[in-house]
Amino acid sequence: MVLENTLPVLLSRMDFAWITSMHILWTPMTIGMSWLLFILEVAWLRTGDERWYKLNRFFEKILIINFGAGVATGVTMEMAFGILYGPFSQAVGPFFGNILGFETITAFMYEAGFIGLMVFGWGKISKGMHLFATFNVGLSSSLSAMWILVANSWMQTPNGIVLKDGLFQVTNWWHAIFNDNFVWGFPHMWVATVELALFVFASVSAWFILKNRNADLFTKLLKPTLLALLIVTPVQIWLGDSVGRDVAMTQPTSLAAMEGHYHTYLPDGKVNTGWHLIAFPNAQNDGNVFAITIPNVLSLLETHTLNGKVTGMDQFPAKDRPDVWVPFYSFRVMVAIGFFLFFVALWGNWLRLRGKLNAESLRKNPWFLRAVVFSGFLPYLAIWCGWWTREIGRQPWVVFNLMRTYQGVSHMSLGQEVFWFVGYIIFELTVWSGAWYFFSRVIAKGVDNIPHSDTLFTHHNEEGSHEEEKAGGGFAKPTFASKPMLDKSR
Amino acid sequence: MFFQDVSRIVGALSTWWWLILCLMFLLYIALDGADLGAGIFALFSPDEEERGAIMASMAGFWDGNETWLVVAGGILFGAFPSVYGSAFNYLLIPLAFALWGIISRAIAFEFHVHAIGSKRFWGWMFAFGSVLAPFGAGVALGGALQGFPMAHHIAAEGVAGAHANAFDAVPHYAGGPFTFLSPFSIWTGFGAVIAASLAGGLYLCARFVPGDVIHERAKKWTNAFSMIALAAIVITLVWSYAIFPWAAAKWTGANWWVWLIWILVILGFAYMSMTAHAASRDFVALLWGEGVVALMWFAMWATMFPYIVPHTWGIQEASNPADSLAVFTLFMTGFVPIMILYNWYQIWVFRGRYTKKAMYAGH
Repeated sequence: MVLENTLPVLLSRMDFAWITSMHILWTPMTIGMSWLLFILEVAWLRTGDERWYKLNRFFEKILIINFGAGVATGVTMEMAFGILYGPFSQAVGPFFGNILGFETITAFMYEAGFIGLMVFGWGKISKGMHLFATFNVGLSSSLSAMWILVANSWMQTPNGIVLKDGLFQVTNWWHAIFNDNFVWGFPHMWVATVELALFVFASVSAWFILKNRNADLFTKLLKPTLLALLIVTPVQIWLGDSVGRDVAMTQPTSLAAMEGHYHTYLPDGKVNTGWHLIAFPNAQNDGNVFAITIPNVLSLLETHTLNGKVTGMDQFPAKDRPDVWVPFYSFRVMVAIGFFLFFVALWGNWLRLRGKLNAESLRKNPWFLRAVVFSGFLPYLAIWCGWWTREIGRQPWVVFNLMRTYQGVSHMSLGQEVFWFVGYIIFELTVWSGAWYFFSRVIAKGVDNIPHSDTLFTHHNEEGSHEEEKAGGGFAKPTFASKPMLDKSR
Repeated sequence: MFFQDVSRIVGALSTWWWLILCLMFLLYIALDGADLGAGIFALFSPDEEERGAIMASMAGFWDGNETWLVVAGGILFGAFPSVYGSAFNYLLIPLAFALWGIISRAIAFEFHVHAIGSKRFWGWMFAFGSVLAPFGAGVALGGALQGFPMAHHIAAEGVAGAHANAFDAVPHYAGGPFTFLSPFSIWTGFGAVIAASLAGGLYLCARFVPGDVIHERAKKWTNAFSMIALAAIVITLVWSYAIFPWAAAKWTGANWWVWLIWILVILGFAYMSMTAHAASRDFVALLWGEGVVALMWFAMWATMFPYIVPHTWGIQEASNPADSLAVFTLFMTGFVPIMILYNWYQIWVFRGRYTKKAMYAGH
């Protein structure tokens, strides 16, 4: 019997899947966009061009809403391993626990220590110091992604450890940290964050051009963004292919599930090289009821040869096989989005080559702009699909081939699992709907009310409407230090 | 011989991380406690302008303050995973409430300023979150002080056939969903809310310009909560003495005079805080008040020594193997002062007093 599919285990997986899925909605934008804001800030400081400053301050408003949502959902993550997967947390403590500790100290706190300076420090700290703060936000959030990917990749390919006294004890730190899956998995995730942030830039820009608001300003941003995407999107496809081949070697069950690949050999004894475009796995999880198959493509994808052998599900006992439906389809959706985004990048740069990437010509052919606006949502879906493929493909293991998911689940009653799930559905949906609603508000408000950068270091009230209302005592003298305060409202 | 040496190394390093853990939790309750308390104060604010001003006053550093909790959680996972994986399992319900409070607060900070129609809603989310977080955390703390049952051979409830496995060598949490619940743990929840309220009052006094409406009300608030907090401390101490033999044994044991002096010092700090507050030396009053928190916190940890969770997890038995502890010590200890340094800088940049009219705007 398959323990993994009993209700308590399924619910505990849903509990964790929900909070992680709702957390990964936010972190990629913070990671990717903080670097883009750093680039905008450098561009502003080097050229003195006010437009870069305006764009920076505008996207920063989106970033901080996003950041708040990321923190709100992220604090839960740091505790949830122990709450929902207590025995897992205990067993993996010597490695995984250490890495999570590294993450909080060298990344989570590092980011929190500079995000306030970056968002509220304008005019209070020097320009150089502010740039330094922005840089640190970029670096810290990328470090965070790195540590989290170290930890998660190690669950996929648990190298460098030995199971002793009920604990995964480290035998080789280097192998455990730079485990097989991490080497490609981390670049794939990190580039995804950059791709997502670039598409958010492009999508918002396209919307403004489409609405003919500050169209020239946003065209100025759209051009380098599309150029960067021309490099990033194919690189991401290549990285994804590399991850896939790595998974084929290190996690054959996961790959077989992703491809709905049940039979290693065909009935006539030849290697099964067929790649399914569509497949309906049967209830016994030992074959497809229906499939549209293209021969040779699977071998080509995974072994880069026409007839290479790809291990199918039939090589593994039924109890070690993951569910196929989710990995199979979410993998395909992710790949399709990856290629579509590459196509959008090609389209935009082709328009540029023909001299049509200016606000006026773009509006004449609004389909490109509409496609770009739409593309802003796709990376979110692709990232979700990628993670669902990865996590469900690893089942029934929580630490691949070493610890089964049910062995790691906390001692909880069904009631507790439902309590957690219902509570987090309410709170996470509030976060999601609120954040996207306020994104739309910030975007609708636009860039026109952003004051000129000259006002940063002047000591007058920038809040306009509150100008006459200094009743509370006007500007404060600092009580903790003798240095006079700069403008407080920025 | 070799194993004795390794065991001694584990003892030293795990005690070192126990001390850092104590410091990280202290930074959390001292810094975020004040922010949370200001949020509790906002529950009684007459309008959204005031709630906005209170949020604005901590806009630049609330996230850093709150993140000390995450760091404490990370250190617990990194150095004492056995505690992390069992205590959090035990405390699922109170922690869920605390986390929901933290979520409400975190998003309210960013949404309140942009909201027009829903401003009231986010104002309340901020205030209620600020009550829920310390209450849940306080219940969790009280629950942890009570200790919890553990057993080997525990698997997910209701999973038939979940039999003995390689991971049973480590004891897992074995109680029920409400094992944490007791009059004492409910009381510590209220105690945490009271302590935060006092810290929040002291913070708001130091943060707002004298004469401002918020400052005026925070002053009265602080006066009231000073008395309530003193009463709460006495109740907690007497109650703990009555129900925790390990605490009673220490407090009235051979070294009773150390504890007596400690209490007198705490009372002295409290007195200094109250006189500074009465003399409107608001920032000084805040510092003395935080001193009381620190001294009480150290006393609690000293009482629990050599346990992390009394009579459940000892420091050394809960710690990671020597190799992991050594790596953690080598690579992470140095970051502790660095974290404190840049957080201090960030708070320093945003020093200075506010007024109610200084809305959280234009970032």
